[in-house]
Amino acid sequence: MSLERFLSQVVPVRQKLYRFAYRLLGNEEDAQDITQDALMKVWDMQEKMAELQNTEAWCMRITRNLALDKLKSRKYRRHDDLDHAGEVAASHQSNPYTVSEQNDVMSKVHATINALPEKYKTILQLRDIDGHSYQEIAEILDLEMNDVKVNLHRARKAVREKLQNLQVYGI
Amino acid sequence: MEYKVISELLEKYWEGETSLEEEATLREFFSSSHANLPPELLEAAPLFQYLHIESEKQLSWPEEETKAPAAKVVKLSPFRHWMKYAAILLMAVGIGYTFQHRGERQATGDFAYQSDLDNPKNALEETKKALKLLAKNLNKGTNQMQKISYFNEATEMIEGKN
Repeated sequence: MSLERFLSQVVPVRQKLYRFAYRLLGNEEDAQDITQDALMKVWDMQEKMAELQNTEAWCMRITRNLALDKLKSRKYRRHDDLDHAGEVAASHQSNPYTVSEQNDVMSKVHATINALPEKYKTILQLRDIDGHSYQEIAEILDLEMNDVKVNLHRARKAVREKLQNLQVYGI
Repeated sequence: MEYKVISELLEKYWEGETSLEEEATLREFFSSSHANLPPELLEAAPLFQYLHIESEKQLSWPEEETKAPAAKVVKLSPFRHWMKYAAILLMAVGIGYTFQHRGERQATGDFAYQSDLDNPKNALEETKKALKLLAKNLNKGTNQMQKISYFNEATEMIEGKN
């Protein structure tokens, strides 16, 4: 792979890789590190790129593996809640009560999704936030398309149960 | 009426059978607030609002924002620093001159001496000269020694008399 190819195919995906890493790690600095490492790895394995059909999915897979390694290696602790504890989102809505209630609900949904097993969570995020097709998700996660569908279904079901609890009991 | 369509879409969503477009429709629907939502829609509202917010969230790679403007290339005239070049030239000439003269001096001094000794006749002359010098100095020494020996003889004669 030439530098040109790297610039035209890999560098534009960087933003996506960064978002992906950020979702997995929940921390901007680590996400930047992992994205950088992933790009380095892609550069090192450039001769493999010629055989690939979907460079983007391949890059995302590398990013995911690196991020999961990092999560595993140091008994990684997510500290997004602490890091962002001081930040209060600026809002121009008139009623602070509604705003804080809304934030509260959002953080509960966030926690619900983050509490899912990693595979469910990633599939749900890739599909419902990033809008990837089943085929793309299958390539990124190196799974069968059917597995993706089944896991997505289970993930949504798990979220739905949690949301119902939230709705009915407020927990 | 609209709620019914959304409700059906939502059911499909939970079953994992919606297309990407349908999911976008759901997100779009829930991103604005609606009054009197039926309970099955109400339960899904936070999730879709969350998904909507997350998908709109801009996470940008920091370096792209703080990218320094490309440095302006200033073309330097080669004669701008003429003093530098003059100084280098001067030093080079000075060093060259020194070396050359040192070489010359050595050639006239050492080399001539060397060539004298290479010739056996000259070498003999030189050695003779050196030996003469040595002999002359040695004779000086022996003259002194002779005086001491006279003194010795004198003391012996006196002792003998005694």
